[in-house]
Amino acid sequence: MKIKSFSYSLIAITVLITGMQLSSCKKYLDLNPISSFGPETVFGTVENAQKAVLGAYQEMTGDQGYGIRISMYFPYDNDVMMGAGGHGDNDRRDIGRYNLTAGNAQLYRPFNQLYEGVERSNQCIKYIPKMDLYNNGTPSQKAELRRLYGEALTLRAQYYFELVRNWGDVPAQWEPSADQPDLFLKKTDRDTIYDHILNDLKTAEDLVPWRSGVAALGDAQDERITKGAVKGVRAKIALFRGGYSLRKDNKMERGSNYLDYYNIADQECKDIIESGEHALDPSFRDLWQNQVDAHQIDPYGEIIFQVAMAGATSATDSKLGKFDGPNGSLIILPTYFYEFDSVDTRRQVTIAPFKINKDNTLTPQPISGLYDGKFRRNWISNPDVDISNQAQNFSLNWPILRYSDVLLMYAEAENEINNGPTASAVDAFQKVRARAFAGHTNQMGTPPTDKAGFFDAIVRERALEFGGEGIRKYDLIRWNLLATKLAETKQNLDKMANMEAPYDTLPAKMYYYPNTDAKGYIDWASSFYHPAPAFTPPGAESVTWISSNVNQGNFAYYAEGFKENHSELFPIPQQSIDANPNLTQDYGY
Amino acid sequence: MKSKFYFFLMLLFSFSTAISQNRTVTGTVKSAAGEALLGVTVSVKGTETVAVTDAAGNYSIKVPSGNSVLQFSYIGSKTKSVPVENRTEVNVTLTIAASTLNDVVVVGYGTVKRKDLTGSVSSISSKDLKDIPINSAEEALAGKLAGVQVTGSEGSPDAEVQIRVRGGGSITQDNSPLYVVDGIIVDNALSTLSPQDIESIDVLKDASATAIYGARGANGVVIITTKGGHRGKSTITYNGHIGFQKVNRYLDVMNPYDFVLYQYERSRGSSQNEDNFLSTYGTWNDLSLYKQAPFVDWQNQVFGRSAMIQTHNVSISGGGQKTQFNLSLTYNNNDAVMLNSDYNRKLINFRLNHEVSKNFKVGFNVRFDNQIINGSGTSNPGSSGLNFLRQAVRYIPYLSPGQQVANYDPELVDETIGNGLYIVNPLVLINNEYKRQYQTLAGLSGYADYTITRFLSFKTTVGFDYHDYRTDSYDDSLSSNSISNGQGMPIATLEQANRQSFDNSNVFTLTNRRFNGDFNANNTFDLILGQETYEVKKKSSTIIQRFFPNGTTAEKALGNLNLASPPTGISEPSPTSEEDVQRISSFFGRLNYAYKDKYLASLSMRADGSSVFAPGLQWGYFPAASLAWKMSEENFMHNLEPFISNVKLRLNYGEAGNNRINSFLYLTQFNTDKNYYGLQNQLVTAFGSAGLANALLTWESNVSRNVGLDFSLFNNHLQLSLDYYRNKTRNLLVNNPVPTTSGYTSQIQNVGSTSNNGFEAQLGSTLIETKNFSWTANFNISFNKNKVLSLGKQTSFIVSSGWAGSANPADYIIKVGAPVGSMYGLVNDGFYTVDDFNYDASTQTYTLKDKVVNDKSVTGLDPQPGIIKYKDLNGDGIVDYNTDATIIGNANPDFFGGLNQQFTYKNFDLSVFVNFQYGNDIYDANKIEFGSGYTPNANLLAIENNRWKTIDANGNVVTDPTQLTALNKNATLWRPLTTGSSWYPQSYGVEDGSFLRLNNITFGYTLPNQLTKKAGVQRFRAYVTLNNLAVLTNYSGYDPEVNTRRSTPMTPGVDFSAYPRSTSYIFGVNVTF
Repeated sequence: MKIKSFSYSLIAITVLITGMQLSSCKKYLDLNPISSFGPETVFGTVENAQKAVLGAYQEMTGDQGYGIRISMYFPYDNDVMMGAGGHGDNDRRDIGRYNLTAGNAQLYRPFNQLYEGVERSNQCIKYIPKMDLYNNGTPSQKAELRRLYGEALTLRAQYYFELVRNWGDVPAQWEPSADQPDLFLKKTDRDTIYDHILNDLKTAEDLVPWRSGVAALGDAQDERITKGAVKGVRAKIALFRGGYSLRKDNKMERGSNYLDYYNIADQECKDIIESGEHALDPSFRDLWQNQVDAHQIDPYGEIIFQVAMAGATSATDSKLGKFDGPNGSLIILPTYFYEFDSVDTRRQVTIAPFKINKDNTLTPQPISGLYDGKFRRNWISNPDVDISNQAQNFSLNWPILRYSDVLLMYAEAENEINNGPTASAVDAFQKVRARAFAGHTNQMGTPPTDKAGFFDAIVRERALEFGGEGIRKYDLIRWNLLATKLAETKQNLDKMANMEAPYDTLPAKMYYYPNTDAKGYIDWASSFYHPAPAFTPPGAESVTWISSNVNQGNFAYYAEGFKENHSELFPIPQQSIDANPNLTQDYGY
Repeated sequence: MKSKFYFFLMLLFSFSTAISQNRTVTGTVKSAAGEALLGVTVSVKGTETVAVTDAAGNYSIKVPSGNSVLQFSYIGSKTKSVPVENRTEVNVTLTIAASTLNDVVVVGYGTVKRKDLTGSVSSISSKDLKDIPINSAEEALAGKLAGVQVTGSEGSPDAEVQIRVRGGGSITQDNSPLYVVDGIIVDNALSTLSPQDIESIDVLKDASATAIYGARGANGVVIITTKGGHRGKSTITYNGHIGFQKVNRYLDVMNPYDFVLYQYERSRGSSQNEDNFLSTYGTWNDLSLYKQAPFVDWQNQVFGRSAMIQTHNVSISGGGQKTQFNLSLTYNNNDAVMLNSDYNRKLINFRLNHEVSKNFKVGFNVRFDNQIINGSGTSNPGSSGLNFLRQAVRYIPYLSPGQQVANYDPELVDETIGNGLYIVNPLVLINNEYKRQYQTLAGLSGYADYTITRFLSFKTTVGFDYHDYRTDSYDDSLSSNSISNGQGMPIATLEQANRQSFDNSNVFTLTNRRFNGDFNANNTFDLILGQETYEVKKKSSTIIQRFFPNGTTAEKALGNLNLASPPTGISEPSPTSEEDVQRISSFFGRLNYAYKDKYLASLSMRADGSSVFAPGLQWGYFPAASLAWKMSEENFMHNLEPFISNVKLRLNYGEAGNNRINSFLYLTQFNTDKNYYGLQNQLVTAFGSAGLANALLTWESNVSRNVGLDFSLFNNHLQLSLDYYRNKTRNLLVNNPVPTTSGYTSQIQNVGSTSNNGFEAQLGSTLIETKNFSWTANFNISFNKNKVLSLGKQTSFIVSSGWAGSANPADYIIKVGAPVGSMYGLVNDGFYTVDDFNYDASTQTYTLKDKVVNDKSVTGLDPQPGIIKYKDLNGDGIVDYNTDATIIGNANPDFFGGLNQQFTYKNFDLSVFVNFQYGNDIYDANKIEFGSGYTPNANLLAIENNRWKTIDANGNVVTDPTQLTALNKNATLWRPLTTGSSWYPQSYGVEDGSFLRLNNITFGYTLPNQLTKKAGVQRFRAYVTLNNLAVLTNYSGYDPEVNTRRSTPMTPGVDFSAYPRSTSYIFGVNVTF
């Protein structure tokens, strides 16, 4: 028994000591993650670094990004379209009605997501240039990593640009948050941010290949950023840096050195034009119906920069074609319809004057019920979308920059710098119009030759070219024309309701032939520009067109809360203010 | 002291071989109340011969010739010595005081008698569980233990039950206690055990007791001991019950006429809506037809059945001198009250103890649990469109001619689809939402206990738990998921998770109890030194397949995932998976010291290293000390006996820790979880930042101070325990909001602190005890006040329970000075009346008078008579959510507790158990949603018949002030809101959730022993039980015990789409063979 008991105690003590050794052993507690990766892995190979950059791209997508809020809530109301109809609801409608409070629930998450984009870009910007392969890899590895670095710089610029044009001065950090000693940042002056990202983009230009150069890297011709996008985004940001914006003293101002920035824009646009890498799709309709709505990468490179969306999830896809377009929520102002020349091919694309029925036929709408039409569900193909489909996501991409924008920015910059349109400015401008007037170029007219006249022509042309693309409101702000144009539009709506000139000869009803091609347009039986015929054309039906209530209904609330020198920027979301006492609320919010 | 002596005597000598035996003595041991006592130890004084009574109280023992004395010892009773003389049958009656002082209480890594306890421990034994024939051990705890709050989330058979010990100190992290089953740490142990298998549950409440568990002890420790075998004759026990459950309360909704009348009223003022009304319901004159339409009660259609429930438990228990075992098999089968749902569980519990030698004992325990739950239930963590109950409340309350009950109306879906909130026939939807949850648990554990010398023993315990979960769901074409994510084609989802934990502890125990001498008689030392390692491995994976051909059955789809075929250009979501390991390594020691059994002290220390923290910050140190003074042992108290038989004062101080955070939060990490970019319409996997790393993370610590007083009065007939405590949690692990400009909304940080201060009383008494009649009562009550003391740099942050979607403002707030669970919103101020306006008769318009508060910025509506009104708290004349929302409720009760009374009369027994809670608020989100007019063609709660009306008896809209006032002289509610702000958090949703629940009544009868014995049955008891018979409450919803938004602990007490609770009517038997 003695021996036995001794041996038991020996066993016990051995077990205990082994246990203690096991647990005291440092290794027992030092584990490595299985389902996540450290920076050394993520930025260890080109493939992984590419995934990290795609992660930075991802913050542009989904409901809180360009999937709906930034693309379809923020840019309204403007002088061509209105956001979702009705009066204020302390929600999305109050963005359009300019009734925003800091507590509006539609601001907080997009604001956050843009900063998530900044953070992810910051991580790529920090780690990619430090990768061993960045300096010591094979030539193709080095070239790809340079492209990735340039893409990250461009994405960060885009995120800050979106933040600044909506919120003005905002906190800015250029390091990943884990390296940031204090996260409780004050606002940084927007000019400082703009100058920083303009510099970044200058760097990125030399890192990213042109559209034709991606194949050499083994990359596909996809939605990723190429040199044209870097330069185009830089041009656009330069125009905003040189344009007006609402300052902390509640005044719309621009810097005295604004021409320096017009020069940057001018040079960048010129580079793109001269590169020959991008061109206009000869047909405006084709671009939308057969490329954008058909989920295709357009072969002309007209779409220079776009947000790629897919996957039918609220984080990765868009609601384009659902929230906008026929049966959607965005509203075309009746006055916008008549801004288009009768032969301008862009009107039928930009404005869809119909509802789509269950059987995919079209029912014309009165002028007070027009939808925007670039993203229209009866054009969506590959795959097609059934109208009775209750899905919200159709994987449509959001174009951020088109070649026509580059042409018009170039024309604008030339005009500003040279105090009048140069020949190349006129040429660029006319290229855009010629495509629009395809088949009727003889009716497109000649542009004004004086600076102010040419500028006005550009203001108008950009309205016609970019309706429904989230560009208009911000253009008007940088020109300091938002208040003027909103007021003008209200007056015009009243005039139209009262059938005053120039709306005095418009039809009260429109005749159409029913049952036309579901993918096409309404087959109208009467003219938009003449009073309705006294008799019904054979086989035609009619729909109310202009009436005395075109300034009623939704239009009664058009931009109702707009206050000049206040509404040009959004309030900082309340939760962000609560989380950071150093963040101030300005502009009268 | 005497009993202790015998105890050790038994312990030391009982296991050695018995010496010469001459004759056999038999007999029966009963309580004073006549109840046969199982497990009474019968020993022959001066020898090592021991026997144990069986379930009928019978024993048989060999006695040497001569003047032997038999000793009968039993928990809760004084040891009784009876000379055998020449008898061969010795029947004994033991007086069992309600006293639990001699009960053994399991504390960390050891046991102690309740009278020697220095910390605060609440206990419950199988005796208290036996009368509650329900399947959840968690529910059986409700109201039974002081300081332990048990809250069921809803009425479904698989409903989560939340257990909080003294409030809970964490804000954003899990506050559930640590569970230890037979010495092994097991997650959520109570939900995986059958109540029939539990011998005792001891809840360690203050840190002086929990500190020995260091890690995760901050929220209390629940120690569960399962039933083991016993010496003597083997017994076979059958416990079974069968019965049914029936919902006892529905929400009142509008009848067909009132419903159509409201739809009429709702549609006025918009030509489009008026046209829709006309085409759906007809003209004003047609409305009276709806008075004849029979009312279809959808809640009754869905939840109305009497659901059969049954449980069968067989256990075989027995053993010899060296080996004892207990094998228990349990089978539960419940049809749930909701159609298409049921619950099935099979459990096996086997426990074996064996003495290898007198100094060496080993034990082994196997648990197996398999559960299958069918049905998707009513509540979902997502926002309202995904929650089912609304369909049963809001669906059109009548059938059009020719319609079947399960009728699908696609047009109604279309008309109401806005924001995914469509109305669909609930019976159709139930068949479109298939869900089956499988859970399998296998637990293996064993121990070896070796007494090395008289003062030193060693015990090693090893446990392995394997938990497998699988959820199969299939959302057919009419489900919200299919409509919004699957283009109207079915979606199958397979979720799998697996959790393995390994626990090993090695403990040395040193004691001087077996030494003699004056010093040892007056000074008792028990020292334990030990070490423990604990590892948890988790794996999970999810596969979602969309686009099954319409018409595919759930079984076919789930069994053939590749049947799904997405339309061209659309890809299936990628499968996802995750794996994680966490480890804890610990060293601990505890010294218990007693001087003259009068002054007791306990000192303990534990060091825990956790892998979730960065190297250098992994170790936490958790000391504790407690002192107890048994005043009744002092001479000056002896005069007071038997009036006061025991008085003990306890003082405790201790620190315990908490490390419940995810792994690797201290490292910058990237993952692929939900990270994709859709290049060329194909999602390409991307890396995204996993979170904002915090390299400084370390242990959260809970400091607790407790003072307690235990009394035994009137010869132990009344026992009272009082405890007052102040707990403070520091270095809180909080998922704290950070400036969102960092790219993150929150970061787990050690910031801030909370406090829980409270008082508890537990009273046990034997009020009457005679030969034929006994009456015992146990009462407990607990008061706790929770408060946030600090949040670091911030003073508050708001939290959304999320039932109303992301656009709705947050409805909870975490604020310094307020408790966690503070509800936040606008204060309701009724509605605008005609008097608030100037009326312009020519334009028939109302304009708000000066100085009347305008809440347009909230409602989006220009104020009109009958529109809801909120209070303008900052007095600026405008109601604005940012400035006028305030704390409108508190989900924490002021106090809660229970009263259990047990009566026996001859062979009859009766127990009545009530539990209660007072002062907690419930956020009744059902009332807000189901009372709103946001969704067209949806029914409303009947209470909305008292709304402000705008239609006169002829169907005309009333604008005239006098008529309007007359029409609404009895209105108590505003016009139901139809705007996006309909569901804004406001005080109308906050209701008092105080209740008194008649939780259980059981009436039983035990057949006389003599009768059953002939049939070979030792004991036969039959009983009827009524569970959840009645609830006394002012709460207007289904049941005031509700908690449906549990994805964060910050939003307790929301009643949204909870499964209704039911009453159970049960008949059962207990048979021992």
